[in-house]
Amino acid sequence: MIKLNCWAALLGGAALANVASASIVEHIVRTQDAGVDVIAYPMGANDVITVRGSLPAGDSYAAAANIAAASITGFMLDKGTTRQNKFAIAKQLDDAGAQMAFNVGAQMVSVQARFLKKDLPLVVRLMAEELRTPAFSAEEFAKAKTQFEASVRENQQSTDQRADEALSRAIFPVGHPNRKHSAKEWLEAADKLTVEDLKAFHQKYYGPAYFTLVFVGDINASQIQQEVGKAFAGWAGGVGVVRTVSRDAVPAAHEEVVQVAGKESVSVSLGQSIGLRYQDPDTLALSVGTLILGSDFTSRLMSTVRNQEGLTYGIGAQILGDTFVDGSWAIEATFAPQLLDRGITSTQRELLKWWQGGVSAAELEARKTNVIGSYQVSLATTGGMASAILRTVNNGKPLTWLDEYRTAIQALTVDQVNTAIKKYLNPDHMVLIKAGSLASK
Amino acid sequence: MLKTSLVFNAVVALALMASVAQAAPDASTSVTVAGFSHIKSVGGIDEYRLDANGLTVLLKPDHSAPVVTFQVTYRVGSRNEVTGTTGATHILEHLMFKGSEHYSQAAGNGVDQYLGKMGAHFNATTWLDRTNYYATLGRDGLEGYIAIEADRMRNLWLHEADRQAEMTVVRNEYERFENDPGAALQAEVWATAFQAQPYHHNTLGWKSDIERVPIEKLRQFYDTFYWPDNAIVSLIGDVDPAKGLALVKHYYGAIPHSPRPIPEIYTEEPLQSGARRLTLKRAGELGAIEIAWKGPSGRDADLPALTVLGSILSVGDNSRLYRALVDKSLATSANANIEPDHDPGLFEATAGLAPGATHEQVEKAILAEIGKVQRDGVTGEEVKRAISQYRAQRAYGRDGTAGIAGELNEWIATGDWTLFVTQIDKIAHVTPADVQRVAQKYLNEDQSTTGWFVPTVEKRT
Repeated sequence: MIKLNCWAALLGGAALANVASASIVEHIVRTQDAGVDVIAYPMGANDVITVRGSLPAGDSYAAAANIAAASITGFMLDKGTTRQNKFAIAKQLDDAGAQMAFNVGAQMVSVQARFLKKDLPLVVRLMAEELRTPAFSAEEFAKAKTQFEASVRENQQSTDQRADEALSRAIFPVGHPNRKHSAKEWLEAADKLTVEDLKAFHQKYYGPAYFTLVFVGDINASQIQQEVGKAFAGWAGGVGVVRTVSRDAVPAAHEEVVQVAGKESVSVSLGQSIGLRYQDPDTLALSVGTLILGSDFTSRLMSTVRNQEGLTYGIGAQILGDTFVDGSWAIEATFAPQLLDRGITSTQRELLKWWQGGVSAAELEARKTNVIGSYQVSLATTGGMASAILRTVNNGKPLTWLDEYRTAIQALTVDQVNTAIKKYLNPDHMVLIKAGSLASK
Repeated sequence: MLKTSLVFNAVVALALMASVAQAAPDASTSVTVAGFSHIKSVGGIDEYRLDANGLTVLLKPDHSAPVVTFQVTYRVGSRNEVTGTTGATHILEHLMFKGSEHYSQAAGNGVDQYLGKMGAHFNATTWLDRTNYYATLGRDGLEGYIAIEADRMRNLWLHEADRQAEMTVVRNEYERFENDPGAALQAEVWATAFQAQPYHHNTLGWKSDIERVPIEKLRQFYDTFYWPDNAIVSLIGDVDPAKGLALVKHYYGAIPHSPRPIPEIYTEEPLQSGARRLTLKRAGELGAIEIAWKGPSGRDADLPALTVLGSILSVGDNSRLYRALVDKSLATSANANIEPDHDPGLFEATAGLAPGATHEQVEKAILAEIGKVQRDGVTGEEVKRAISQYRAQRAYGRDGTAGIAGELNEWIATGDWTLFVTQIDKIAHVTPADVQRVAQKYLNEDQSTTGWFVPTVEKRT
């Protein structure tokens, strides 16, 4: 067989030179059309256009007395408008094979669409109609409540979701956008909700003021501007994103068990709040350090807890919820009940080793190549590019960041990474959640 | 040898760049490279055969981004397993990452390390009819990945210690799968619908087989199926054809073809002669239903009409099952489709029950909609809409080299990769009469298997 032992070093250098040369931002066209922040980026020639957009009307804007208002308002956007019912709208999209969906997150209502180039006017018109003039009919409202209840109850069966929910409630205070509501809270709120609540919520929060729409693919920027300008003309309102929140004292480290009956795998979350947002200077260093700990097969957690010890199918570490407000940091893994204790011990051992000893220069250099290469691959589809552009806007970064990101990664030093790890994380403050069918002790 | 290859490749690349760059997306870019036979060109994809060992190469240049997807599809899946080795294809897929003669973590050049350093998006998957290994990465990293894939085709370590460590990893994958009632229900429906044909068992295998399959059996499996004449290499993206073929030949050319013919599966599912039912009871919140009917293979002439039927039943808010189930608050979701498989598979209709709905109500509603299609047919407008949806879906799926490779992989598994290109025309020619005919032919009670997931409140220990 052919022996090749030196290729990695040779080809690694070539890959870096290649990705460093292309500019994204010089091909971007950004305009304000009818008050909407419109960003267009031409890419490929395969007749497809992908849209990613968002505006601040997520769950954290719903009043404490009515926490389900944002989610159900978002859910009802495609359930008919004051001009036509949902079937008439769906027929137009389905006939064209176009896809459009709204989703409500903690801060933002996002819109995603994919369609053929010829259908741009149709999709933009229907998107505007659904965002601006939802019907909120009593009949659809009743159906939405049933769907909402089913969705909440289904989530209760997911050990991953339950662990995630419990960790957020343990580390974020009441009112923090990253704190998740319990099923009981959701269902009680939905039960009390009225159509008038939805109309009031929509009136107060939906508008173009902080609405960004990104179009990527086989596009004509001036046509997009024209269509958006026409479809959203006369729309007003909207609110800014919440970027500052009050902080409670960091909770003491503790352990919680969430019982979910009938499950063969246990989900584990181990983490803390970090008091960092994406745009803070130290976040990139912490982010790359976190990738070294828990991301792909070469990361420390995967190579030890999975590959060497065989204790889990999946384990990783990540920063969460740092787009607008202070985020959290967590390790997430799944274990068989009989391997749970060993799995947690190994995980905590690797965490401590990483936290105390930091990352090495060799690890950082390898990870930089990984991050830059992965970034290049992620931008090779219209969806990947559109998401990256919208994420840059929401992260509070200028669009030049799309090009500067690689340079910023390259510039990171071992000292910056290890300082950030020590500064923002402390294993002694982390909360451990186990969700699954666990025997009582 | 490496240095020589790179110089040679650079020269070839420069010579071919102009003509390749100007080619239309679906035009053939076939080239003549010594050692390869050009088999055919369909829809911008060129098929070559490496003369030395029968390796098939599918090549589609796409220069819209400086990335390339390289994929190896082996024609082996869980359909090739028997009692005692169920799940072996999947375990073997995991062990393919544990090291081969020249590439391993210990040597510092393992597949994870190399692709990780490149920032590649990579993985491997196992399914009924095939196993695939793939990576999307910057074009400059291609050669190193081809070298690793070629090495692990015949020089895999397969150590018992690795099997033991990986067994619990795979078992946790199985446990996670079992956490999902919908997935568990589907596995039980397939196990009930198929009694002789190996689609009976889930690709993950039975838990006891996962735990106990000996390394010798895995070695036997590897030595039976991992040969160039049982593999298809797909090369899609920013690569010029001559350079890509030269790389494939360089790394795969010395591997011999299989010393024995690759075993064929000759077991056929006997004709089902009556409806089958099953109930899965587990802790849970909301129930679910699946009704499955015996369908044709992915290459069958009836598959396009069944695909259109699935779309009419469940794609979009105007679909029949959405209106009958979701819009009436009987279900939270409703789907109907047939996946193209190598052997005759299943047309499946599934629904998640809404709070307050009963299994009887939902099953009755699904069957009523099927009955309407069988009795009254579908409209031309519905068929036209389904064709538009399929056409758009195909365009979306081909946004990026990884999407193209993924879709191509599934058609390779059916035994005819050209359907990746031609299926869209077959779909476009489906008529309302075709849809009614296949609904009558396949969706009959005697060929059905119905499964209910019934949530319980008791705890399992």
